Order: sequence, then C-alpha cells, then structure tokens
Amino acid sequence: MDKTDDILLEVIGLKQHFITRSGWLARSKRCVRAVDGVTFSVRSGEVLGLVGESGCGKTTAARAILRLYEPTEGQVWYRSRAGQRVELAQLPKKALKPLRRELRMVFQDPFSSLNPRMTVKDIISEPLIIHRMARGKQLDQRVADLMEAVGLDPAAMGQHPHEFSGGQRQRIGIARTLCSDPRLIIADEPVSALDVSVQAQVLNLLADLRRRFQLTLILIAHDLAVVEHLCDRVAVMYLGRIVELAPTAELLGRPRHPYTEALVSAVPPADPDVHPEHISLAGEVPSAADPPPGCVFHTRCRYARDACRKHVPELIEPCPGHRSACLFADELDLRGASTGQQPRTEGPPGSTAMGR
Amino acid sequence: MLGAVMTLLLVVLSLLADFFSPTDPQKTNMSASFTPPQEIHFIDSEGQFHFRPFTYKQICHIDPETRVPVWREDTSRRYPIRFFIKDWKYRVLGLSFRWHLFGVEQPGTVHLLGTDKFGRDLWGRACRAGRISLAMAVFAAVISVTIGSLVGVVSGYYGGWVDSALQRLIEFLRCFPQLPLWMALAAIIPRTWDSMHVFLIMAVIFSLLSWTVMAREIRGKVLALREADFVLAAREMGASDWHIITRHLYPNTVSHIIVVLTMTIPEIILAESLLSFLGIGIQPPLISWGNLMHNAQNIQTLGSHPWIMWPVAFILAAVLGFNFLGDGLRDAADPYSTA
Repeated sequence: MDKTDDILLEVIGLKQHFITRSGWLARSKRCVRAVDGVTFSVRSGEVLGLVGESGCGKTTAARAILRLYEPTEGQVWYRSRAGQRVELAQLPKKALKPLRRELRMVFQDPFSSLNPRMTVKDIISEPLIIHRMARGKQLDQRVADLMEAVGLDPAAMGQHPHEFSGGQRQRIGIARTLCSDPRLIIADEPVSALDVSVQAQVLNLLADLRRRFQLTLILIAHDLAVVEHLCDRVAVMYLGRIVELAPTAELLGRPRHPYTEALVSAVPPADPDVHPEHISLAGEVPSAADPPPGCVFHTRCRYARDACRKHVPELIEPCPGHRSACLFADELDLRGASTGQQPRTEGPPGSTAMGR
Repeated sequence: MLGAVMTLLLVVLSLLADFFSPTDPQKTNMSASFTPPQEIHFIDSEGQFHFRPFTYKQICHIDPETRVPVWREDTSRRYPIRFFIKDWKYRVLGLSFRWHLFGVEQPGTVHLLGTDKFGRDLWGRACRAGRISLAMAVFAAVISVTIGSLVGVVSGYYGGWVDSALQRLIEFLRCFPQLPLWMALAAIIPRTWDSMHVFLIMAVIFSLLSWTVMAREIRGKVLALREADFVLAAREMGASDWHIITRHLYPNTVSHIIVVLTMTIPEIILAESLLSFLGIGIQPPLISWGNLMHNAQNIQTLGSHPWIMWPVAFILAAVLGFNFLGDGLRDAADPYSTA
C-alpha cells in the first residue's frame, strides 16, 4: 500500500516482555508481555496516532522503538537522514547515538521530565551539549530561537522549571526535543498531564511545528479526541497489540474493531444536541502477564463468539489501508463517530451495532 | 541557625586562637601548675564597683597538714583586664602579630579555665586544640563523603552485581566493632612518626570507616533518581552514563551530601577525642580536645583539679553545633517542609 521509499519508520513484530521475579524460594518468573508483536509503519511527514487505554503498552512500544528498553523481539527499520536503512533494535549503542538526534521523544509528564536543578537554557541545550552541536553564543542563539518557536520568552532562559506552569514546561520539553533538529518525534501523551484549556494550545503548537520543521510525528494518546484533529492515521492498541490501524476519518467513521467502536463512542460529539449511545466496556483490562487465549479482547467484547476464545486474530486488511485484528471485521457493522447525520446504512437496521 | 552560629563561633575561635588567648598556650610555668580558673571581678574586696573587670593575683599555699597546694586570691594585687592589648607574639599566615582581644598587664594573669600540670593556660590551649580537632574532623569527613558518594552513585546507578558487591562490602565494614578497630588501627601507627603524619593517618582511618553511611544514603537517593523521567529523557537524548551522573544525579544529591557531611563531622570529633583521650590518637606537641584531657584519666588528678575537664565543653559545643547545623540544612533541603 505504501511506496517503500516513502516509509520513514517500519516496526515489524516488536515485542517487549518484562520478566518479574516473585516468591522467596521458588523464584517464580512471570513474563509481562507489555508489547506483544506490534507492526506498523510511518510515512515521511505523516502524523500517526497511537491510542489505547492506559497500560496497553503505548509508552512501552515508544520506548522500545527508541531503544530506551532493549526490545525482546522484532525489528525497527529507520531510514536515516543520510538515506541508509538501519535496524534500530539490534544496533550497537555507539552507532545508535548519532541517530538519537533524529529520533526524539516528548515526555508525558512535564514536571518530572525536566531536571529541577537545571536552568531552562541548560535543559533545552542539553542535546546540543551531548552531541557537541553548538556552544557559546551559537548555543545561546539556538536556545533563544527555539524558545521563541515554542512560544516562550527567551528572557526566561535563566529560570528554573518550577517557575513555569505545566503548559509552559511542556513547551520547554518540546523545545528540548526540537533542539537536535529531529526528523521523527514520538510525543508520548504530550497533553494528558495538562489542563484542558492548555491542551489545545500545546496540540496546535505541535501541529505548527510539524509543518514548520517538516517533522514526522507519532502522537500517543489515550483519548481519540486528541488525535482526531492532528493525525493522518491512527493505530489503536489493546493489551500490547495493535487491533486496528486506519486513516483517521475512516477509523472514526467506520471502525472495524469492537474496541475502536467503544473508544469512538467515548468521544463527546461537537454538537450538543447529539447524544450518542455510550458503549461502556465491562470489566478491566486483563493482565499483560496472563493475557486471555484467543482474541485478547474477547473478555470485554460485546460481539464475542466461541471462535474468539480459540483463535488469535491476525491483523487483516478488510479494505485497502484499513487493518483490523478482529475475526469478524468483515461481518460486524460497527458504529462510528456520530456526526449528527444518520449512521451509515450499510448493515440492516437492528444489526448488532444498533441493537442493545 | 543556632547550629550555624555555634559552629561558626568555634571555627573562628580555633582559627584565631592566639588572638583570643591572653597567655601563650605553649609557655610552661611550673610555679603555676594546676591553677584553678581565675575569677573575673567587677567589685573589689572593699565593695567598690569597677567598670573595667579585673583579676586578682593568685597565690599558692601548701596546706601544712595535707601537703595539698591551696590557691587563693591576693586582693591587694588587682590586674584590670584591657581589650585589644599588645602582648606575646604569634604568627598567622606567616605574619607576626602582637594583638590580643583581651589580657592583663604583666605580671598579672587571666586563666579563664585554669592551667594544666605544666602551668599552661587551658583556655588558650582549648582554643588552639580546636584547630586540630576540627581540621581532623572536616578533613576526614570530606574524604569519607567523597568515597561514600562515589561508591553510592556507582552502586545505585549501575545496580546489578556491582551494587551487590559494594553493598556486601559495606555490610562487612559495618560489622566490625568500631572502637576496638579504631584502637587497633591507631595503635599500629609507629610511635616514631612525627605528629603531623599521625594526624593524617588518623584522618584516613576515620574516613575509611565512616564512608559507609554516606554510600548507603546516596545509593538510596540515586536508586530513586535513576528512574526519574529526566534521567530517561537524558538517555533518550543519547547522554553517556558520565553525563547522566555528573549533570543529573550528582546535582540532585548535593543537598544530601552536605547534610551527611555535617552529620559525619561530629562523629569524627567524638572518635578522635576518644582516641586522643586514651593517648593513642593525636600526639603532642599537637593538641586536640581529646589529648588535653589525657591527664584527666587519673582519678586523683581529676578529683583535685576538675577544671582540666573543660575541653569537654568545647567538644559538646562542637558536636551539638554540627548536629544542629545538619538538622537545619536537612530541613532547608527538604522541599516539603513547611517550617
């Protein structure tokens, strides 16, 4: 579906398992499958959303891609600025370091991700120091430019992070990320720690910067509303797996996985007169240490059938560019986001999606 | 605050010991052996008030029956205390001075805390002993904190078998009964060495045995910091371990290091004074608070001349002062304290 030379990052079968030991004498080992076979690719210049509820492995996947963890299995192919295709998961640390300039991350918590003892200038310029990119006046100038770019007053360069509000601190974090002139930024829930009023500002800033610096963005969120406006495509994760991946409009309008349907129904519509039925998922997310057999979602899926308990669904492509890991992706007629218009008329009225 | 004032006072007192002592602490005077502390008077024997304080000449009688020297004041000889007077010569930083904060004119004396066996002024000696005691404590504490923080950071940051090995080593060191170990180590220092060498070796002994507290403390702090997002962020930027340790971990543990430093100092003061008191620590001619009291080991001496225990007050003040200072710094470094 994609032209291969257009693909900036390709993740194939990425697995990140954590082994926890418990017990005193027995030393029983438990394997937490935080990320269990994630495959997707990101085209140059696009914004890919990665959504799912907390604990589903979004952050772990991001950190495994950037080798902040050592992935258990899988490949991460990245086309570097120099034009080489490199596999990050097995790359020696030394060879990885220069690539860290191009692949950057924005952290979720703007409070703990900034060292409280450093000044804003030191924080933003840290990548420059680490990669010996600039020093002295040049460094000061770069920091001032970046602070302006993210909407901060360069005069505040000498202040400490605690003198700033959450939104401002996240701007500092973004400036730090931009500092090394990256190509791909993974923004790990950049706004979930912020007040709603500030969230939009920071998202707009990200959209702006992306255009201005021609960035490719992977935007992680636990909320479809956040990714809706910014993302070209969205991947939905559940329990360490991608369950659906599609262009944003299509994913929202015509979900092909029951989990996505539930997520979509949780997004409040813009029209206050529309009161769509809210699908609440029963129960809790199963433990990643002991995932259910078959389809991992069957314990909470309202369309679950016997087959779901036995067969593990592959990520199939029911229609071009739209992938879903549901055994019945073709059969189910799931309801998308309400737009105030009549729902699609594909399935017969009273079909599963409308029932209940 | 009180701690800082007490500490500062003691440091100034010991650094400028000669300025504060009216009598040369090294000058022996056998005829003034074990003079009790002299009283400072404002009112003379005739009941007249003098604005300027004064001392009386002290004279010694041998009790004809017990043969014990008895000191009493000769009220006919009054020596007014003058401030900023010129008296015996001393050297500070290679320069000669004659200025003293207070004193009396010759042949008068002011022995605020009495004199020792050789008639040397105890106040002057106690002030001067502070130099050795405090210098030893600070020197040993700095070495101990340097080793301790280094081991703590390495142990906490790298974890794994490095951590296990270092922690077992610390446990091993802490298992030793401290007093006998100190005594054994101090006792193997050859007596023929000059006192300056002994001083240095003693400092090294104390620091080698006290760094474990620091290492434990810093390890705990680093274990917590290691998981902080800003350390992860630094790793994400491609920072080396060295960069993370020096730019992120150390700056965030500095407040702990300072607190532990001020808590280690009084421990070393106590340890040093104990060993010196027993005669296996600082050797004369160097004087420390501990070896000033060396003579007080003899119960008879102590019974008839209790004032030779005065250096205890200095030790007390120093230990309390540093402990208060450490507490104060701990509160100041704690972002959650409301006080």
